[in-house]
Amino acid sequence: MSVLEYVANGVIYSSIIVLASIGLSLVYSIAGFANFAHGDTMTVGAYAALVTFGLVGGLGSEILGLPLGFFAALVVGIAVAAVVAVVTHRLVYEPLDAGSIGLLITSIGVAFVYRSLIRLGFGADFTEFGIQVLRPIDWLLPYGVRVTLHDVAIVLTAGVLVAALHVLLQSTDLGRKMRATADNPDLARVSGIRTRRIKLWMWVIGAGLAGAGGVFLGLYNQISPRMGFDILLVVFAAVILGGIGSVYGAMLGAFLIGLVVRMTPLLSDVGIPIGIDYAKAIAFVIMVAVLLVRPNGIAGGTES
Amino acid sequence: MSRLTDPRGHWDRLTRAERGVAGFVVALLALLFYGFVTGGFGPAYVLYLVGLVGMYVLLSFGLNVQWGYTGLINFSVAAFFGLGAYGTALLTADSSPIAGGFNPLVGLVVGLALAAVVAYVVGVPTLRLRADYLAIASLGLAEVIRALVLNERRWTNGSAGLRGIPGFFEGWPLLDRFPELMPGLRVVVVPGSPIVLQEPFWQAVLNVTLVFVFVAASYLVLRRVHRSPWGRVLRTIRADEDLAEALGKDTYAFKMQAFVLGSVIMALAGVFYAHLNLFVSPGDFEPINTFYVWIAVILGGSGSNRGAMFGGFVIIAIREGTRFLGALLPDALRFTLPGALSVLPDGLLAALAGALSLVESTYATVVGNFASTRLLAVGLLIILVMRYRPEGVLPPQRELIWTGVADDTTRADPDSGVREARGGGSDE
Repeated sequence: MSVLEYVANGVIYSSIIVLASIGLSLVYSIAGFANFAHGDTMTVGAYAALVTFGLVGGLGSEILGLPLGFFAALVVGIAVAAVVAVVTHRLVYEPLDAGSIGLLITSIGVAFVYRSLIRLGFGADFTEFGIQVLRPIDWLLPYGVRVTLHDVAIVLTAGVLVAALHVLLQSTDLGRKMRATADNPDLARVSGIRTRRIKLWMWVIGAGLAGAGGVFLGLYNQISPRMGFDILLVVFAAVILGGIGSVYGAMLGAFLIGLVVRMTPLLSDVGIPIGIDYAKAIAFVIMVAVLLVRPNGIAGGTES
Repeated sequence: MSRLTDPRGHWDRLTRAERGVAGFVVALLALLFYGFVTGGFGPAYVLYLVGLVGMYVLLSFGLNVQWGYTGLINFSVAAFFGLGAYGTALLTADSSPIAGGFNPLVGLVVGLALAAVVAYVVGVPTLRLRADYLAIASLGLAEVIRALVLNERRWTNGSAGLRGIPGFFEGWPLLDRFPELMPGLRVVVVPGSPIVLQEPFWQAVLNVTLVFVFVAASYLVLRRVHRSPWGRVLRTIRADEDLAEALGKDTYAFKMQAFVLGSVIMALAGVFYAHLNLFVSPGDFEPINTFYVWIAVILGGSGSNRGAMFGGFVIIAIREGTRFLGALLPDALRFTLPGALSVLPDGLLAALAGALSLVESTYATVVGNFASTRLLAVGLLIILVMRYRPEGVLPPQRELIWTGVADDTTRADPDSGVREARGGGSDE
């Protein structure tokens, strides 16, 4: 495989990590805890989309090699992940009288509940959306890059979602309130911002993006109850690399970590005996190194 | 000594939670004993379960030192447990790709040393960080170690695991051949179903004795440590690290010592497990094992070693109880609507039938998937404990320092389940 292909693969994988890391970062900055259930929220989105896609089918026409029904399923996946997160917030996190550590431990319980319910409903095995695998795009092959239209769709959709989030954060009233709440919740509240409502929106956006990430992860790899938990560590590494609590930092960190994880095979190509099995371990080592050298991350962590 | 001379008065002085716990433990032991005398469980199996309880108690002790005393969130319990287990297994097992054939005592020392070294190496970068970073980093560490054990087949045998681990007492004088030397006993408690106590039983007796020695030794060490000035510094760090710093304590050094001590106790549990199960595999590193121990500690009461012991029993009740229930309950429920209901309108009947078939299928799913049901129970238990009893069932008694003690805004002192201070009592 060529270096270009590794880069292309990295970009695709990065788009998924970006979607997941935004939500994790939002929850960290606004709800104030490291949410270990975030990966399983992605799984929830993926399974919701799987069920929807099974129900509605292809719906005829195609965009970028993906049937319209898949996009309907994507929307449902996003919506279900958001609803599940809001319900969890209302039922579990909000009534809890605990600090960030208590919330963190609780979120592990939440993750287990999500995953066990999915396993009870769908079994523990791998499944797929059952969308036909496409041939790589022809005109890219001479450059040694094997990318399908599906991969392009993943990157483009992720780009659209991220751009929408950027507009939301920078130009809307809700976005300004969210940034204010992330910066200083008490100050935001005395300024008349209804921080409880902002928190709900934060869950909707964060979990919705995670759901989208889960759907794409399912399209890119496979769907299994453990998929979200398995990727959670990479997402944490991305968020920490970018500076925990900073949304734009998380995007940058996710992009870099995604590239690194997918370019691990290069190491064995140049003779360093570290196989693809250790891709996540490398992400972890980077994370610890960042924590040591720049605990605020590469983006500084002051903006949000 | 009050519990011997005045059992009634002792019982009256217990809190409600303590009575409940005592009742639970007695009921569980009674159930095991009932299964034992009626032959429902094999005698060796009952003792195997008791050994597992001991193992979880040890693990909970280890986590208690880190989380309960010092406030360190360690999500790599399974990793240190696995390091202890693999440390001894690699040195003693027949199928070991490295050495093999050493005395289990050598394995014990090496397993503990391995865990201590890894704990130190991990602690250097992570213990200076905030608590939630340690949580993430330690979970990552656990996954890295699991990946190493799975993939480095040359050293660890990979996913096949290690077989042929000897019992802990192999090569010891006398104890080595103790199970063979003991006579086969036939005990008739219930007429018609005699219990035969043979070699496996005596082997299990040895194992239980071993874990009892481990638990007792750790308990005594930890109680001493907890009451010492060193233990007070740890609890101060948990309550308010800045305060400890301001008092001139090198909190990093204290946290490191607590982290290593806790990890070594976890590895001790791993060593015991390897010689109990006689087989170790990368599955022992699964994160779920970490969270079993977390449940034991937060349910029992963070910082309380009595609570940790109770937690060990609860974990076995969950782990084996779901398996036991699964075997006991019928695979499927069948409902039939009584004929008298046919007077109801058809729509309602159809709805009822639909609801019943939903109940039937849910039941079949839950009973048919113990692993998932267990995971669900674990998750729900974490959420419920954190919501309704974050201080645990048996919080530490007569604690001078607790989380938030130096902080006026958050009153987090354990105001439930704590006895009034009384003279002459134990503070454990």
